Amino acid sequence: MNDKKRILIVDDDPDFREAVAYFLEANGFVVFQALDGAEGVRLARLEKPDLILMDIMMTERTEGFFTIHEIRLQPELKNVPIFVLSSLCTHLPDFEIPLSGGWLAHDMFFAKPVDTAQLLAKIRQRVGEAA
Amino acid sequence: MEERPIKESARPEIVVVIDDEYPIRLSCEKILTKMGLRAETFEDGACGLDGVARLKPDMVIVDLKMPGISGMEVIGRVHEIDPLIVIIVVTGYATIDTAVEAMKCGGYDFLPKPFSPDELRLIVNRGLERRRLALEAARHELEQTMLKRRFVTFVSHQLRTPLVAIHQYLDVLRNLDETGDTEARRREWLDRCLARIEELQDLIKDWLTLARVEGGTLFKERIRIDLNCLVADILETYEQTAAAAQVSLEAHLPDNHLLVAGDRSCLSVLFDNLITNAIKYNKPGGKVTVSGSESRGEVVIAVADTGIGIAEKYRPFLFEEFFRVKEDGAGKTGGTGLGLHICKQIVSEMGGTIEVASEAGAGSTFTVRMAAWHDPEAEAGSKSDERQEANIDCG
Repeated sequence: MNDKKRILIVDDDPDFREAVAYFLEANGFVVFQALDGAEGVRLARLEKPDLILMDIMMTERTEGFFTIHEIRLQPELKNVPIFVLSSLCTHLPDFEIPLSGGWLAHDMFFAKPVDTAQLLAKIRQRVGEAA
Repeated sequence: MEERPIKESARPEIVVVIDDEYPIRLSCEKILTKMGLRAETFEDGACGLDGVARLKPDMVIVDLKMPGISGMEVIGRVHEIDPLIVIIVVTGYATIDTAVEAMKCGGYDFLPKPFSPDELRLIVNRGLERRRLALEAARHELEQTMLKRRFVTFVSHQLRTPLVAIHQYLDVLRNLDETGDTEARRREWLDRCLARIEELQDLIKDWLTLARVEGGTLFKERIRIDLNCLVADILETYEQTAAAAQVSLEAHLPDNHLLVAGDRSCLSVLFDNLITNAIKYNKPGGKVTVSGSESRGEVVIAVADTGIGIAEKYRPFLFEEFFRVKEDGAGKTGGTGLGLHICKQIVSEMGGTIEVASEAGAGSTFTVRMAAWHDPEAEAGSKSDERQEANIDCG
């Protein structure tokens, strides 16, 4: 049991969290859920996940960006992979995240809704098989 | 679009004077400084343009005939730096032709030499007034653009969120292997998908209502409306909803029916929103009370609940579009964030007011005030005006 990979999902939509969390659990991961940035930082520090899935527009419009920044400030979380899952990728007037991920390039960017099969493949690529 | 910093009112307006004659520069500087302005003078076009680029002045006073760069050219170059700078042209060989040409190049006004201090003051004041108006207009336009952009971003996010959730459920269901557990999920998730579709439909409905209210097309008529009947109808509609939430509904309205002039569908939307909110944000065992009174030509209707209340810090934002209280309890309740904004728009359109009083944890009261129906013919009821609503048989 102990060698199961641990994933933290930070998203303010309970249905989105539930769908993705259930899918990852069914595929052998342990999943933690946070409904906003503050809870995300708290759980990241507490559970030290192997990978984080992060929404951007939560209570605040750019909450995800600041949450990532804050997580990165923790020495023990400096290198944890963070995948951004957001519907902001399309050409909205305010935000545009290049598909390369831009300044988030060391991590990955997924447009919502997420192709779960592809997400699973990328997660496994990054953290290894679950069990 | 370039963002212009908002000017602090303390900063004096800057006027750049470009003239090769020293006495002119000196007297202009004196007069302008006395007017409370900051004057900077330059003896030729090249220095002047450097100065304009550095100082970002509000106004440039330029001599047309100078050695080096001509005044005409200076006008064009100044407007390349900032098209809103007001330019006053000064010249000793005033002719109609040169004046016309200077105006064509973008000069705002024309001052023939020699000129009196009064003439200079008059023309400078007029020019600066124009500059202020232009800046104000530019600032307003920028604000509108920003607001529109944020609104588009926000609305597309709001519309997309439920769709993303539905899509994600379906995507996961398709990708999961069939197991007994999955079957149980499938049923639950289908219900949740339906709930999110309803959320999306509510959002679109509210958004359209708002567009109609703001566009003025929802206000079809101003006829006499009996609020006792209207409120009774709405309360009846929500009897079952309230019972399911274990909330009781009460109306304390005077026997003398409350009458206002308004549009039936608008008033229905208004009180429907207030009453459904009062049920939605209530507690089991709670109560919704609609009370009303009339005095001095004003009708006051209050919708009170015994629910979770609204913390003081949120109250100023309550009527803003898409504002939602993010608090334990309230966060779990679905809503578009448009209902109260719509209420506010409807009430303002009718010349009334809406306000909220609340105690966190104990409940909220929304109070609507509007002008009572004023019957032009003193005797109501005896006339059979078709535009007047029948006022019979209602709870």
